[in-house]
Amino acid sequence: MVSFDAERLIEWVRSLELVKRGAESEIRVGSFMGLEAVFKLRVPKPYMDPELDLELRSFRTRREAKAMAAAISGGVRAPRVYAVFPSAGLIVMERIKGPLLKERLQVHGDHGHLLHEAGGMLARLHRAGLVHGDPTTSNYIVAETGMLYLIDYGLSSFSTSIEDRAVDIHLFRRALESTHATIAQEAFTNFMEGYKRVMGEEAGKVEERAEEIRLRGRYVEKRRTIWGRTL
Amino acid sequence: MVDAATRSSPPRNRESGELLVLGVESTAHTFGASVVSSRPPYVLSDVRSQYKPSKGGILPREAAAFLAENAPGVVSRALEEAGVGPGELDAIAVSLGPGMGPSLRVGATVARALASRYGLPIVPVNHAVAHIEIARFLTGLRDPLVLYVAGGNTTVMSHVAGRYRVFGETLDIALGNLLDTFAREAGIAPPYIVGGEHAVDRCAAGGKYVKGMPYVVKGQDVSFSGLLTTSLKLLRKGFRLSDVCYTLREIAFSSVVEVAERGLAHTGKDSIILTGGVAANRILNEKVRLMALEQGARFEPIEARFCGDNGVMIAITGLLAYAHGVSLDTPRKALIRQRWRPDEVDAPWYPLTLRDL
Repeated sequence: MVSFDAERLIEWVRSLELVKRGAESEIRVGSFMGLEAVFKLRVPKPYMDPELDLELRSFRTRREAKAMAAAISGGVRAPRVYAVFPSAGLIVMERIKGPLLKERLQVHGDHGHLLHEAGGMLARLHRAGLVHGDPTTSNYIVAETGMLYLIDYGLSSFSTSIEDRAVDIHLFRRALESTHATIAQEAFTNFMEGYKRVMGEEAGKVEERAEEIRLRGRYVEKRRTIWGRTL
Repeated sequence: MVDAATRSSPPRNRESGELLVLGVESTAHTFGASVVSSRPPYVLSDVRSQYKPSKGGILPREAAAFLAENAPGVVSRALEEAGVGPGELDAIAVSLGPGMGPSLRVGATVARALASRYGLPIVPVNHAVAHIEIARFLTGLRDPLVLYVAGGNTTVMSHVAGRYRVFGETLDIALGNLLDTFAREAGIAPPYIVGGEHAVDRCAAGGKYVKGMPYVVKGQDVSFSGLLTTSLKLLRKGFRLSDVCYTLREIAFSSVVEVAERGLAHTGKDSIILTGGVAANRILNEKVRLMALEQGARFEPIEARFCGDNGVMIAITGLLAYAHGVSLDTPRKALIRQRWRPDEVDAPWYPLTLRDL
């Protein structure tokens, strides 16, 4: 692709309505060939060598789009990819409207089925040979249709290792504990039930490893030891 | 040891409530001693002696022998320059880890001996926490995100609920270790740093970007061992040294700055400090400055002489800790901890700095 095109494309995308600015990308909404769409733009980093920056952005953009496509093929409800422009760092995707799972959990009520489904969806992603890398309650959307979607594949990668899968489980648990402390325990139990139901036998190993990661010390203070002595 | 009668500076008239702490640093290649007061001008002395290998890298035993040889002189000079007799001190702060065992033992031995002889309490100081505290003291940034980069450490931290928590870190070798090892293997060091510039920076001048070298950021962590191996492999294949140096440095610096950027977005902190030996690097400073600007965060660089290991940072941290009730009840408990993590240390003084006492 000619860099001139990428620049003009970026300029146009940046005129769209901004809904979120993360560390890595800008999320904008607009219309793409008549469809309501989300424009995820990885912005150039001023502190990087321009060639390195472009290489990274296009690699990550491509990887994310591939992950989304693979997730959908694996039966995960993810936004459909409309178009990918690696050299512009841009993915255009289906816009899913609705509250975040995080917001739904903050409203009182029985959320058991939602968490059960969230767990099942992560399991389907894992079975598709992927890990998410950032499965928090902010990355599930409860669509207006009532269906749950798993979004943001920016940190996802192709992996079937128990360790990587367990990190996903661990991250979700940590997200529950830090954001939904009062219901975390029950919510996590529901989530894991859904996960096991889809994952089958393999789930046991992943769950075990997730507990191990939790106790590795990096994340939990009370079990930290030095040379076998508890501090 | 310096006798009150023979010291060169006039004795200080101690203000009421003033605290005086001697800090002893001895975790790797530097033996440093400093006397710090709880009252302006705070830093009363700063004496250091650094082991510099003539060839190869640091040999722990050689480094420790060098430190042991220089320790008495450094401590004496620090007290002398401060005009403080050992008996006038309130406490002795010593960095008990993390670091190299043989080096750590030198500092711990000196601290235990002084503490026993003069009946002073020992304040255990974590070396990483000390790098943070001196940066907070110098910049005046009370609650920053911390990017700590040194020969043995590469960590992004922030203070949450009483402690410095690790947000991201290296999964294998540290940033300084990457630069030094590459320079040594490529035959461009030692000396590693000349005129404040690292051998890799010197060689990177005029270098061009080489495509395809590994850039590894896994979530919030970085990894450099693959980058080191690939760089050396490319050199053997005949790639230009300046191109490899440039690309290695760009990838390594960009990845730590990127993790720090994620850290800022995640923790919501509105300022950032860069500390540790590699923090003296001008190019890294510039990258952090640009990133902070983009994220709308404040950034204040610290003086190069306070980036590397020194006794001042140990004394500052020790004084803060001592003023908040941290000390050992007997010198016997001053045991070294080679792998002492900063997130194991309570920081009850936070967000106060020395200037607030």
